[in-house]
Amino acid sequence: MDLKAVKLLIERNAKKSWNPLGVKEGYCSSWAEGMSFPEKGETLLYTGCLYQMIPYIDMFARLLKGFENMNPALFSIAMKINELADSLGLDTISLLASIEISKRDRERYFNIVRNIANALTSAGVKFAYMKEEPYNGVLYHDLGMDDLFEAHVKRLARKIKETGAKRVITVDPHTTYMLNYLIKEFVEDFDVEVVHYMDVLLEKGYEPELIGPKEVVIHDPCYLARWNDLIDQPRTLLTRAGAKVREPEFSRKFTGCCGGPIESLFPSLSSKLAEKRMKELKESGSPCLTVMCPICLTNFQREADKLGVRVFDIMEVIK
Amino acid sequence: MTDLTEVSQLLNKASEDPVLRTALDRAIASYWKKRKQVMERYPYVKELADEVRKIKEWSIDHMDELLGQAMDSVERRGGSAYVAKTAEDARRIVDELVGTGKIITKAKSMTTEELKLREFLIERGNEVYETDLGEFLVQFLGPKPMHFISPSIHLTREKVAEFLREFLGVEVDKDDIEGMVAQVRRFLRDKYFNADVGISGANVFAADRGAVFLIENESNIRLSISLPPKYIAVVGMEKIVPTMGDAWKVVEVISRYGGYKVTSYVNTVMGPAKVGKGDIGPEEYHVIFLDNGRREASKDPILKQTLYCLRCGACQYLCPVFGIVGGYWAGLNSAYSGGIGVMWEYITGDKETATQHAFACLLCGRCMEACPMRINQPEVLREIRRRFMAEI
Ligand code: SF4
Repeated sequence: MDLKAVKLLIERNAKKSWNPLGVKEGYCSSWAEGMSFPEKGETLLYTGCLYQMIPYIDMFARLLKGFENMNPALFSIAMKINELADSLGLDTISLLASIEISKRDRERYFNIVRNIANALTSAGVKFAYMKEEPYNGVLYHDLGMDDLFEAHVKRLARKIKETGAKRVITVDPHTTYMLNYLIKEFVEDFDVEVVHYMDVLLEKGYEPELIGPKEVVIHDPCYLARWNDLIDQPRTLLTRAGAKVREPEFSRKFTGCCGGPIESLFPSLSSKLAEKRMKELKESGSPCLTVMCPICLTNFQREADKLGVRVFDIMEVIK
Repeated sequence: MTDLTEVSQLLNKASEDPVLRTALDRAIASYWKKRKQVMERYPYVKELADEVRKIKEWSIDHMDELLGQAMDSVERRGGSAYVAKTAEDARRIVDELVGTGKIITKAKSMTTEELKLREFLIERGNEVYETDLGEFLVQFLGPKPMHFISPSIHLTREKVAEFLREFLGVEVDKDDIEGMVAQVRRFLRDKYFNADVGISGANVFAADRGAVFLIENESNIRLSISLPPKYIAVVGMEKIVPTMGDAWKVVEVISRYGGYKVTSYVNTVMGPAKVGKGDIGPEEYHVIFLDNGRREASKDPILKQTLYCLRCGACQYLCPVFGIVGGYWAGLNSAYSGGIGVMWEYITGDKETATQHAFACLLCGRCMEACPMRINQPEVLREIRRRFMAEI
């Protein structure tokens, strides 16, 4: 993998559509089609787009796995083709996506977000959403592309402000961490309260219903447990719904990473890490792996069949 | 330099090596078990670690002042103190002290690995023996020390037994680790008595008394530094703390987080032997304080935390990436391994290689949870990426 090429690709996509994959902005909000939420309000549900982008992330990862050992010269030819297609007005990513991404795949991840929104509504929470919801910018930060990150989150902060929100509800650990900590290094007056949806549900005394397997093994996503300190929340919700929760050897603050964060630069290592962690989880006695993070979900899902396990997001186990 | 192909090929290959995986799996499982026992038996060690963090923070902020004190203390007690600005300086000082045609026994030391000191001394016509079992194996089997505490973490006992059978020409049992240690010890015994020079690093150094502290389990350090008439300690500048009391705290934290309920020996050396010249204890005590990038790093607000590292190895045992590639991460030319290894390499070695390897970090933060100093490796590694991405 060539860092210069990766940087260029990401910068071009960011310029085109404000996300590293070149997914059209607005796509991420389509989970809300047929539902009605206001676009302004004191409380905002901001998804950060990660769940919705899973099919694209997955495709991108597979694409890059092919590039992993490709020499930089070939990579730059591939980039040229991409550029050419662009100049002809063809959106290569969505073109590829429309062929590759099945409706079923897309629906699965949209449903997770819908399920979260429905649970919040049932719990009595009123919230607004953004019709052109922007991506959360985390990949730029991870890769050390701080200029891009800064521009991105400044715009995001402005857009959040425009909704009139004083409180933002997040749905994944990376967006939560970004809004709680990272954004503050770049946006001085970002003073909205940020809470994860699980905390909101618990605060409302919500009683979820079991819709998935009766027994699951819990995988604490690194950013949820270690960086946001959300550890008991998913356990409480699962137990309340009547699920039996098994603990793997490495859990809570010592949870093991799914490998997802290096899926773009070191895809083979990333799969190996997923495999190792999944075996650890399976050894707990349950083949039903439950995660609370879109990155864990997609990285595990890719290896699931091979290992004979099933992977669920917590919002596919309860509702 | 922007091309990561070589790095990913190196790491991929390591992750596919079944012997390496078995060795790592065993070592990590055993560490995790021991760590839980240690934390249960010595619950106060977490607070002690917080205290040590403060000692280290102060010490790194006062590096030059402490260095001055440390050098005075060494000289006052009849030893000789030196400052080496670069790795080359350090090798030159050692060269002047050792010369050629000598027998040298070495205690395991990452700082001398950083200097590639063994290779250098051999090239200069000396006979050099690593006396720690793990490091001894690495000397002959390579490719590098793969872990701070457990340098031969990549070798299975089966591999070790096979090597010893051939190298020593004796029968050894792969399941009898003690027996294998005893065989190596027997081989090394007369080396200690014939050695001209003993060389070690330091786990920590007390400025007030000019004392080197060395932790060990095999008593090899004790022998290799006290039997030869000349003793040289190579001390990274970040190892200096103000007092003996501080140093003892550091020692305890290193052993506990390294997974030891008890460490058999803690050696302290404060000066040359005073009685019965040559009977016991070295007649010459030389301490080389090594900069090699440390001073500069101590002034960098983000890199600085690397210097709090006690080299206990906890983060390496618990890092997911290390768990599948071991010390290949940070590169085979680096003395250091894992995420913290990339940071050390960036400071003391080859910045380019370190930068490329920095991209393999998951930023997952389990290292920080494992670390007694709570060093934020993701923050430092991301910063290394940032500096590079801004340039290309
Ligand atoms: S970074 Fe922390 S855990 Fe890792 S070796 Fe250093 S002190 Fe130990």
